[in-house]
Amino acid sequence: MLDFMFVFFAAIALAGGLVMAFHQSIVHSAFALVAVLFGVAGLYWTLGADLLGATQILLYVGGVTILLLFAVMLSTRDAGRLAIGRYILMAPVLGLLGAGLLRVYQGVIAISEGRELTLLEPEPTSDAIGQLFVDPHGFLLPFEVLSVLLLVVLVGAVTVARQQQEGTPDA
Amino acid sequence: MIGLEHYLYLSGVVFTLGLCGVMMRRNVILVLMGVEIMLNAANLALVAFNKFMLPGADGTVAPDGQVFVFFTIAVAAAEVAVALVIAVALFRRLDTVNVDDVANLRW
Repeated sequence: MLDFMFVFFAAIALAGGLVMAFHQSIVHSAFALVAVLFGVAGLYWTLGADLLGATQILLYVGGVTILLLFAVMLSTRDAGRLAIGRYILMAPVLGLLGAGLLRVYQGVIAISEGRELTLLEPEPTSDAIGQLFVDPHGFLLPFEVLSVLLLVVLVGAVTVARQQQEGTPDA
Repeated sequence: MIGLEHYLYLSGVVFTLGLCGVMMRRNVILVLMGVEIMLNAANLALVAFNKFMLPGADGTVAPDGQVFVFFTIAVAAAEVAVALVIAVALFRRLDTVNVDDVANLRW
């Protein structure tokens, strides 16, 4: 059952990723992004991260993709041509990087040898995660810093949008 | 059976697809979508490592890796908000969202 779930969600994510990266229509790419995000949410569930999967769907599928589609509506639908030619030169470099990464992966996998995914009775993780967020020895400081970041982003976005409307972008 | 390696390979492939999107697409919104996919691939690796490498004494798993992913999601949402404001401003001023056309820092 778990194998089937992994293959199912992995296939969704991979197909979505392929369409996102190579489809000529920008709106198609946006909906393929939804597929990728949904597939990753399903993979979170196979790993027993129920709260994370739900958050992924709420925030990414419901929020970020809608924002992206709004930006498409407010700008242009022209996706532009794929710039493949100039990056063929970079393929050997990327291949080397990938080979190095595979080497690291092999070392990591050797450590986790024998640990298999056993989950068919999901336990809620929200309690433990919530405790970690407010634990001074856990993630309290990053949590507070994050709220400051969100405030800065809010003010910054409003500032840029207002400058545009007043027609004084160089103020 | 599904092990850590399956998740890692999948994460690597999804990351590569996102990288292809970032490098080959010319529309700035599509570049952003590629960045989102790369972030998601990294998140998937984080959760998988959490699940397989950090089992507690009684078999339960401390969700530190999942907390990391929450931070990533929040920062990514902030990043998208700012980047899209910039993209729309770019389109209003220069009438283009093609990253090749925007090579100067100031007009």
